[in-house]
Amino acid sequence: MNDSGTRDWKSLLLRHEMLLLYVLVAEWLFFYFAGTTTNRRGVIVGFGTVDRQFDILRHSCEIGLLALALTPVILTAGIDLSVGSLLGLCAILFGKFWHDAGMAIPVAAALALACGALGGALNATLITALRLPPLIVTLGTYSLFRGLAEAITRGAITYTDFPAGFLFVGQERWLGLPTQAWIFFLVASGVWVLVHRTTFGRSFRAIGFAPEGARYAGLPVERRLALAYVLAGLIAALAAIIYTARLGQAKADAGTGYELFAITAVVLGGTSIFGGTGSVHGTLLGVAAIAVLKNGLACLPVVMRMNAAEEMSGLLTGALLLLALTGSVLPRLWSQWRAHRSAAALPSPKPHTPT
Amino acid sequence: MNRYFRELSVVGALVVVLVAMAIFAPAFFQPQPLLSLVTREAPTLVVACGMALVIISRQIDISVGSIFSVVSVCAGLLAARGWPLALVLPAAAGIGALLGVVNGILVAGLRLPSIVVTLATMVTLRQGLNLVRQGEFVNMPDAVQWFGLPQTNGQWLLVGAALALLVLLGVAMRHVSAGRFVYAVGTDAEAARLAGIRPQLVTLLVFVFLGALTGCAAMMNIVQSPQVQPLSGMGLELKVIAAIVVGGVAISGGRGNLWGAFAGLLLLACVAPALTHLHVEAYWEKAIQGGIILLAVVADGVRSRKGRR
Amino acid sequence: MKSLLRLALAAGLLLTGTLGASAAASSKLVVAFLPKSKGNAYFISCKAGAEKAAKELGVELLFDGPTDSNAAKQNEIVENWITLGVDVIAVAAENKEGISTALRKAQKAGIKVVTYDADSMPDSRSFFVNQATPEGIGHALMDDAARLLNGEGEFAIITASLTAANQREWQKHIEARLKEKYPKMKIVAVRPCDDLKDKAQSEATALMSANPNLKLIMAICSPGVPGAAEAVKQAGKTGKVKVIGLGLPNENKRYVHEGVTDTVILWNTGDLGYLTIYAGVALAKGELKPGAKSFKAGTLGTFAIAGDHILLGKPFAFNKGNIDQFNF
Repeated sequence: MNDSGTRDWKSLLLRHEMLLLYVLVAEWLFFYFAGTTTNRRGVIVGFGTVDRQFDILRHSCEIGLLALALTPVILTAGIDLSVGSLLGLCAILFGKFWHDAGMAIPVAAALALACGALGGALNATLITALRLPPLIVTLGTYSLFRGLAEAITRGAITYTDFPAGFLFVGQERWLGLPTQAWIFFLVASGVWVLVHRTTFGRSFRAIGFAPEGARYAGLPVERRLALAYVLAGLIAALAAIIYTARLGQAKADAGTGYELFAITAVVLGGTSIFGGTGSVHGTLLGVAAIAVLKNGLACLPVVMRMNAAEEMSGLLTGALLLLALTGSVLPRLWSQWRAHRSAAALPSPKPHTPT
Repeated sequence: MNRYFRELSVVGALVVVLVAMAIFAPAFFQPQPLLSLVTREAPTLVVACGMALVIISRQIDISVGSIFSVVSVCAGLLAARGWPLALVLPAAAGIGALLGVVNGILVAGLRLPSIVVTLATMVTLRQGLNLVRQGEFVNMPDAVQWFGLPQTNGQWLLVGAALALLVLLGVAMRHVSAGRFVYAVGTDAEAARLAGIRPQLVTLLVFVFLGALTGCAAMMNIVQSPQVQPLSGMGLELKVIAAIVVGGVAISGGRGNLWGAFAGLLLLACVAPALTHLHVEAYWEKAIQGGIILLAVVADGVRSRKGRR
Repeated sequence: MKSLLRLALAAGLLLTGTLGASAAASSKLVVAFLPKSKGNAYFISCKAGAEKAAKELGVELLFDGPTDSNAAKQNEIVENWITLGVDVIAVAAENKEGISTALRKAQKAGIKVVTYDADSMPDSRSFFVNQATPEGIGHALMDDAARLLNGEGEFAIITASLTAANQREWQKHIEARLKEKYPKMKIVAVRPCDDLKDKAQSEATALMSANPNLKLIMAICSPGVPGAAEAVKQAGKTGKVKVIGLGLPNENKRYVHEGVTDTVILWNTGDLGYLTIYAGVALAKGELKPGAKSFKAGTLGTFAIAGDHILLGKPFAFNKGNIDQFNF
């Protein structure tokens, strides 16, 4: 009894999310001590300041949202490469609705969200109705959405001069936190509840494990899959609006390459790319681990002197991902090796030779 | 229906585009510029051949663009140090293969998902290269260009080499047992194992092969100009994967062939020069490419639906 | 397990202690220098000048930027520097409005801001070190093209990407100049090369075969110039199709000598970096104040100030005669 109790406790501490939490805390402490200094004027500067922590939060909202959007999708063993491009398309559509069509900001935002959902619905239709591989469908829409954004603006138009009330969402604080952080937390809790506390979440996993099995079990597989992709489109549009508010501009290149960061965060967070297992809090930890690493490195005197913060953060994110992946299979390899050894220790059965 | 329907339909689309070009922009078919354009795509074809194998074996490699860049810079530096090309070429293939081994071991040895592994190696290699080179061009001696041959001969050599590789591999995939092993592993790894194939070994080897081919492709690219830009090869992975998918190779493994991939590559490679020749503005290029990819997969989907009925 | 953790923690603390101490020791003025993109040879040569100035002035120089041209990342890096409490930030703005929000924040935090290469909104910085206005660049390129073609004929433009802000700006002024002064010239195509030399080479090849009357290719991004030149050379059209553009001497020397590329236009990028650092430091020390009419920068001498623009001088044309004197 006691034995199994400690084992549960141990396995909880050794779960992927917990390990990631240790990494995050270690990273944070490391940068807190190594990246905080007193400058010439005697002011404490660097990683350990409240401002810096808020900056990290603000900088990771969009990629964080995309990672949240991708978590249900990847749980179903799917993938969506088009979220970054859709972010760009929605950003310029939002700008166009507001600037060219003269709509009020909330109306333009609502329409942009609808367009995001529509983009997600296009992915969903192709994937579910025609049963096409998500990787390929979204590779196509990855080009298509970005191409449309460029075609609509002819590459040239940048929408700017948004009203201060709108910029408040991306640049100011509300109730002590950066405004967009509240939106992010709201969406995060929404997605968490969806994935972990509703039957939808369970069906995402079931589909990821075995789509045919899920079908036989009576799950509306197509509808659930469609939900995941439409939701991804909707959240990408929301990220587009926050991006626009943070930078004060909407342009066709918004969010280029964000899909890779988001996928990295999700996978680092322990969601299997083959679907079936994973968690939203894991994704959040993954986003945080990457964001802290990126921002922390930029505060390290050594890295600053090398002028290499950007490259180092890319390099270390890649390395961290590889490490996490390798770490995730070590227990399996260990048990395989042990099984192999104990099998070898037994007297091997005589090989059966046909006479 | 004909079992090569999918490949033939891509060839059909290609023919339609070419006929349209012949009518509306006959200048497209001037021999020398066309040869130059085809030569520019020869390295891509070589990478596509390797990638097709990887995808047929149910894996994917998105790090080829970064491998291409790393090998380009390494080979360029070796050539600049005065290494003879007869040594640089195997060195390039070797570095590529080595990077392929890393991917292969992680995927086949540790059984990690290839898309994530190669995502990680893609980022790591790219940023590592940025860190070391800071974007600086490599200047090479003139003798490197076209392997020291006259330009037209050099171009024919590159195109010929790429086509020879395509034909050899295309035939081998069908008629040599090693080629059929790749299909077997891609269709059902467990069944392949029971049939006496070692799926992990096959997987490792296709990654190494792709790495080596990417190394050769990088070499085929750097001999086309006297300077190497460290960014060269950026975005190559998407271009190649898109071409292969348009050519009817199933991303879920086991289906498709190199001929289709070749046709898909030609079709997508046509888009940019065709737009230039038709004097269409560049703004629509990405959207059109996305449209072609979607059209191809939708055709796949519709057809397999009909097949199920 | 527990002891292992403790060990790791101790090691970490030890490491952080040493690192932290080394940073606190520095009591120099800190100048942060932000390029549009880091791997770009153009900005690397700016950095060389900046480093020289920093050494002479005894200040610490930070150099960081996006590895690709990315407006959002520029903002993030500036915000990082604000919390690092640097004294001066010098920025080449990827996007005028976008970066200004971050720069205003920096000014509020007491950091002196100068821009170079590409300006931000005037209220978000003290001075702009103006190497050449977009107008000046556009006109120089267009005039040079007209000179080579005797004011008549078709030409094509190769740009970095359809969305890059500075490219759009230059293109706008090239087109305006064309309309105003050279009615017999015509832009037949604008093609993006994604800042890739290889792609520029393919694009230029297609451009030449699609436009038999093409007389000139103008590449307005630095990788585009050698790419276009190589294509012209391979097509055997050296001299028939001329190449000009904005680029660095080192990348283009061989083509200029072979007569493929006629002129490469650029300012002295090293001087740009040097002047920027001098201006930033003088601003932080209170030696340079708004309203000043001239400014002396180390060994480079005195520069005129017009309004809040410190003028580096006119763009410089590198050609066969002078290109070997420059190494950047």
